[in-house]
Amino acid sequence: MTAPTVAGPGTLTGLRTALAVESAKVRASLVLRSTSVLLVAGVCLLSAAMVAAVRAGRTDVTRKLGPAVATGDWDAFLAVATQVTGAAAVLATGVALAWLVGREFSDGTVGGLFGLPVTRSTIAAAKVLVYLGWAAGLGVVLPCALLAAGLACGLGAPGAAVFAGLARVGLLVVLSACVAVPAALAATLGRGLLPGVATTVGVVVVAQVGATLGAGTWFPLTAPALWAIAPGTVPPGALATAPLLALAVAALTVLAWRRLQLDR
Amino acid sequence: MAVPVLALRGVTRVFDGGAGVHAVDLEVRPGEVVALVGLNGAGKTTLLRLVLGMLRPHTGSVELDGVPLDRLPAVAWAGVGAQIEYPLAYPELDGATNLALAARLHGVPRADVGATVAAVLDELDLGRYARVLARRMSLGNRQRLGLAVALQHHPRLVVLDEPTNALDPRGILLVRAAVRRRADAGAAVLVSSHHLDEVARVADRILVIGDGRMIGTLDPHGAELERAFFALVHDDALSRAS
Repeated sequence: MTAPTVAGPGTLTGLRTALAVESAKVRASLVLRSTSVLLVAGVCLLSAAMVAAVRAGRTDVTRKLGPAVATGDWDAFLAVATQVTGAAAVLATGVALAWLVGREFSDGTVGGLFGLPVTRSTIAAAKVLVYLGWAAGLGVVLPCALLAAGLACGLGAPGAAVFAGLARVGLLVVLSACVAVPAALAATLGRGLLPGVATTVGVVVVAQVGATLGAGTWFPLTAPALWAIAPGTVPPGALATAPLLALAVAALTVLAWRRLQLDR
Repeated sequence: MAVPVLALRGVTRVFDGGAGVHAVDLEVRPGEVVALVGLNGAGKTTLLRLVLGMLRPHTGSVELDGVPLDRLPAVAWAGVGAQIEYPLAYPELDGATNLALAARLHGVPRADVGATVAAVLDELDLGRYARVLARRMSLGNRQRLGLAVALQHHPRLVVLDEPTNALDPRGILLVRAAVRRRADAGAAVLVSSHHLDEVARVADRILVIGDGRMIGTLDPHGAELERAFFALVHDDALSRAS
């Protein structure tokens, strides 16, 4: 039996290795697969059901959803899809990220991530990057699924405005994933899945309350949804607050993993 | 005398309530298996966690090849293999995939991963579990998978916490042989256990830890190992009480 050549990875090789490992875990994960299916199917079904109800003459539904959906066309369909995505995407991506980070603590595998040539901070960075990659994938799949659902509802051939609306829904998913990054820090500091999930729920609640109280377009938790619903009202700088928030919290998460001790 | 691969110098780490380890000195040299024995709660796992950097000492230092852990370059960890408490085995991945990912995390070049995994599957007789998801494995087989993760890259320092706890007799023999093989090839091995008969079969030195302090040594080849162990524990308790 011969010993393998063991070479410690440099920082870049370490990140490549960590990305490969985290990607393999995500591909095999039932949690991320079911979250993806639930988000895509849920948004499509709700949007289709609401527009179908309006088109069937259900005035009660029209009254509740507002004048934006009264037309029962592509605009109405996209208005519902955007509103639902605004809340659902934060919840779905936050729960996924809480699992991605918190499972190492709840499964006890975090101990095996010590004493490796690939540092824990590199592994934490890889987790966030893989998560954002997964969210970007969802940002492509959801608009495609919505397009198919709209066509299946008989909304007719989509114009340029519809494609622009679908693209906004896709970007909203990615920006919602940015807003949910605090789940990673909470799962790390709380050493488990539940603190991450609780933080995600907190983000959704604060965003809803913030929107209701008119927190403004510069509030990072509400800016993405406000932009997706009414693009002209949110300047690009305000929209950038969501990725900036993600960057800052991801940096704190990486730092927390670097300084991590299993002392609880 | 060979330079120790692992050295703990005056290491103290105390938790709220006073438990922990106190002023521990310990060295493990290339080619030797050092066993750490003690009652439950004596501080064995805390000490191993300090070795792996899972805990930082309040005083003293842990050194690998003479370099304190806080100054150790990340690359140096490629020569370490460990299992403490839980195996690095993800339930949604099968045995071979878990091993392959762990090999990469331990610095095994991508081109060598397949051969590394095949060799350890064979060595620890895990071949039939290569395509079985870890969540479907028995506790013992999952532990054996975790030990394979720790040993497959032939580390220079092996650190194992209660490695034979959940294993069946055949698994114990396989792991014992694998550990001995690593030591014979020059690895330094630190293993904790409370199975005196088991450590006597594999260890070159046995250190006894009690209430977070090193309280003596046992001769692995000596008769009445159990009696000698309890005498040390009893004497330590008396000396602390007086």
